[in-house]
Amino acid sequence: MDDELLELQRQFESAQQAKSSIRLSERNVVELVQKLHELHIIDFDLLHTVSGKEYITPEQLRNEIVTEVKKLGRVSLIDLADTTSVDLYHVEKQAEQVVSGDPELMLIQGEIISQSYWDIVAEEVNERLQECSQLALAELAAQLQVGSELVASMLEPRLGSLVKGRLEGGQLYTPAYVARVRAMVRGAARGITVPTNLSALWSTLQKLLQEMDGATGVAVEGSFFQSLFNGVVKEGEVLGSLRAGAHWTPSVFAIAQKECVDSFFSQNSFISYEAVNKLGISQPVQFLQSRYPEGTPLVTVFVHPSMIEMLDSTTEDAVERGSWIDSLSVLPPSFGLQDASKILSLCPSVQSALKANKVLILGEVYVFSNTFVKDVYDRLEKEMEAFSFLGSSGIMPSDDSSRSTESNETSGESGHKNAVEKGSKKKKGKSSGNAKSAAAESGTDDQDYIPTKSKKNQRRGKDTSSLQVSDTKSGAKKDLVKVQESNLNVPSEEWVMQKIMMLNPDFEEQGIDDPQTILQPLANHMRPMLISRLKERRKALFTENAERMKRLHDNLQKRLDECFLNMQLYEKALDLFEDDQSTSVILHRHLLRTTAAAIVDTLFLNLDMHNKLKNGIEVEESKHSESVSLSSGERTALAKSFPGSLSKKALDVLESLEGKQVETFTSAFREIAEESGLPLKKLDKKLERTLLHSYRKDLTSQVSTESDPISLLPKVVSLLYIQVYNKALQAPGRAISVAVSRLKDKLDDSAYRILTDYQSATVTLLALMSAASGDEQDCSSDRILSKRELLENLMPALKGVVLGTSQS
Amino acid sequence: MEGWDPNTKSTLTQIPLLTTKAGPRDGAAWTQRLKEEYKALIAYTQMNKSNDNDWFRISACNPEGTRWTGKCWYVHNLLKYEFDLQFDIPVTYPSTAPEIELPQLDGKTQKMYRGGKICLTVHFKPLWAKNWFSLNHVMKHIAIVITYYALCPRFGIAHALCLGLAPWLAAEVPVLVDSGMIKHKDDVSSSSES
Repeated sequence: MDDELLELQRQFESAQQAKSSIRLSERNVVELVQKLHELHIIDFDLLHTVSGKEYITPEQLRNEIVTEVKKLGRVSLIDLADTTSVDLYHVEKQAEQVVSGDPELMLIQGEIISQSYWDIVAEEVNERLQECSQLALAELAAQLQVGSELVASMLEPRLGSLVKGRLEGGQLYTPAYVARVRAMVRGAARGITVPTNLSALWSTLQKLLQEMDGATGVAVEGSFFQSLFNGVVKEGEVLGSLRAGAHWTPSVFAIAQKECVDSFFSQNSFISYEAVNKLGISQPVQFLQSRYPEGTPLVTVFVHPSMIEMLDSTTEDAVERGSWIDSLSVLPPSFGLQDASKILSLCPSVQSALKANKVLILGEVYVFSNTFVKDVYDRLEKEMEAFSFLGSSGIMPSDDSSRSTESNETSGESGHKNAVEKGSKKKKGKSSGNAKSAAAESGTDDQDYIPTKSKKNQRRGKDTSSLQVSDTKSGAKKDLVKVQESNLNVPSEEWVMQKIMMLNPDFEEQGIDDPQTILQPLANHMRPMLISRLKERRKALFTENAERMKRLHDNLQKRLDECFLNMQLYEKALDLFEDDQSTSVILHRHLLRTTAAAIVDTLFLNLDMHNKLKNGIEVEESKHSESVSLSSGERTALAKSFPGSLSKKALDVLESLEGKQVETFTSAFREIAEESGLPLKKLDKKLERTLLHSYRKDLTSQVSTESDPISLLPKVVSLLYIQVYNKALQAPGRAISVAVSRLKDKLDDSAYRILTDYQSATVTLLALMSAASGDEQDCSSDRILSKRELLENLMPALKGVVLGTSQS
Repeated sequence: MEGWDPNTKSTLTQIPLLTTKAGPRDGAAWTQRLKEEYKALIAYTQMNKSNDNDWFRISACNPEGTRWTGKCWYVHNLLKYEFDLQFDIPVTYPSTAPEIELPQLDGKTQKMYRGGKICLTVHFKPLWAKNWFSLNHVMKHIAIVITYYALCPRFGIAHALCLGLAPWLAAEVPVLVDSGMIKHKDDVSSSSES
């Protein structure tokens, strides 16, 4: 055996025998600690690290946190969890305890930050600020990775101590910078002379600053300017007033404004709101009222009491003089209608006069004294009467035509209403008729007015329709009234205005550019009165006329019957001369010229008058008592003045009157008579006989009393024809000889001789008389005289022939 | 050598390697070899002691040092399980690994290997770790064969214990205890008493 081997054996033995060093496994330790906990030997919380290999007491953890924070100033909890390798949950819990126990520390967004850290930051900020003269908080916050509010709240207590600067609107500024900007603000504020919106000013300043600072310039906020500005204002370095925080009115401007208003108002004793507005005062009424408590605000101007006094005295004067005044002409030109009317209402004299009903305000601004208006009205009324006469001839027939077509309409009111309805349809024809009839009325001073009138009336009809749209309340009624007016032949507004103008030429003399403006209201004021007056009068006339119309109608009927029967009688006599063409023509013509013409005249004149009466126009009766013979021109004019079918028929009659056939005339006349409601009697045997009898009697008495030898002859011939043919002959002088020759067979010779002698003697006498018109008075008159004597001698014989036969 | 758990590996590297390649029949060379074996064992033991990981006692039964006996133990759930340990140095040693036997555990587990038949190479390491259930070898004695010996005669008894027995105990004893195959001696005595 080797010693060495033995030695080694021993060594191995001893190595195996040696006490092994005691080692506790992790597991054992954990178990031990658990046991300790169970036995309450460890009676405090024990934390373990994330790896699970270490135990740590909370105090130790807190200590570590504190040392860490002291070392760095600012530690995030996550970092702490890493460095202490303790679970974040415990770190957070302990960190909260640490922070709550130490006022120097704060826990913000998972970070513990100490005040000393902020001091350091503040120093850094100060350094940078001194370099840049301005710093944005947002930038700082971004760099520090904290909220800008936190930065602001941390920096604020250090401003002035650690940070030499000023915090404004999220920006830090050095005092020098602030002073510079402040100087800019002051300069800008002093430079302003008109009211300015400050934000606009700030934006220009901002631009200026940026230009100065170049690219490094930080945008300066308006609020910074604003606070600087407020400081400047507070110290009284600029004067003015700030409204709504942003609207700056420099006192210089306010003073100028006030002075301007003052000077204008004191000079003119009024000022318009527009002018005040132009000066930059937005609420002129309040401004002026507070400034001049004695003044009065109107609609667009503000006036001094002196202005009212002035107007007052002027109007008072006008009222006393019984005149009128246009208040606008007295007031300055900048016064509007509404202003004028308002100021008028403020005048004490006008108020009292209105109360006393002494004055009338028309068209808002025209003041008329009542005496003046009355005067004008009276004069107008007179004019109206003239007008109603003129109008009657023009308008009446048109109304009548509508009436005659309507027929049986006796009531005036209803008749007019119908006329309204019918008239509107016939408007066109009527208006032309008006114009023509008006033309016939030449010579009157209103002729130029009438032709326009119908058109005006039509236009007014349109006006009323438009008026109806605007004024729906009483529109329909009004419309009716208006139309009635227009049909009633009332004076139009224009007419009234024209008349007023004529009566008061001073309206034009006053130098009013447009007299319409004043005349219109005046006319409007007067017209209803005039119309009502006119209506009244017309109504009165109408009732009066109704009776007269009846009388007239009856009269006419009677007269027409008589005449027409006579004419028919005479017409019969014409049959005797059927064979003799020339004589027949002469006889026809004669009959038409004399008897027929007279009948037509009577009819026409009466119809005309009837129409006038119907329209309520006064007609002088006396004029018609004597029969008037009309010329053919007058007849046609009258005929044309009749409306519609009546006019046409009248013209037919006149045409037949010019012709050669009595029959055509009689038929035409019969038609027109029927049209106008006058049925004509037809000649029957019985009537003929009585007529003939009376005619004969009449003629006989005429012949027996006739002393003129010339006019005796036709009467004798007529009488003879009645006696012989039992026909009433109306023969003109030219036809006498033929008529006489026709009697030859019927009379005995002696009688016939007497007749022919007498006739020849009469012819020679007439020839002599017609020849003896000139100088040879001496001889011819002698001869005429001798012939007359001869005739006079023959007269008894002739009378004897006629009267004798009549007696036989 | 990769595949061993880090502890085993670090321990293994600290055991001094042997330089003499000789078997029991090689006379003086074997003595020299035996000296080196002792030195390695001493180093391993000291290492274990210093790490408070002492787990076996062995000593040579004959002066030639070809048969060794001793005890090994394992602590599980604060209880120490101790087993007898014995093995012979084969004639072909060190080319053949010694077969370590735990006679007390004979028949108690199937996870034992017949000596020399099964290679304990690195290829079987996963089987060591997990899949021993798939091995159907019935073994009378525990036999841990380390082919490293063939490849690497510089490994000695200390290496065999460290690489073979220690991991086997760590893996197998908790299973045997849990399945009730082995009982702590206190329990045994108490149960026998009862």
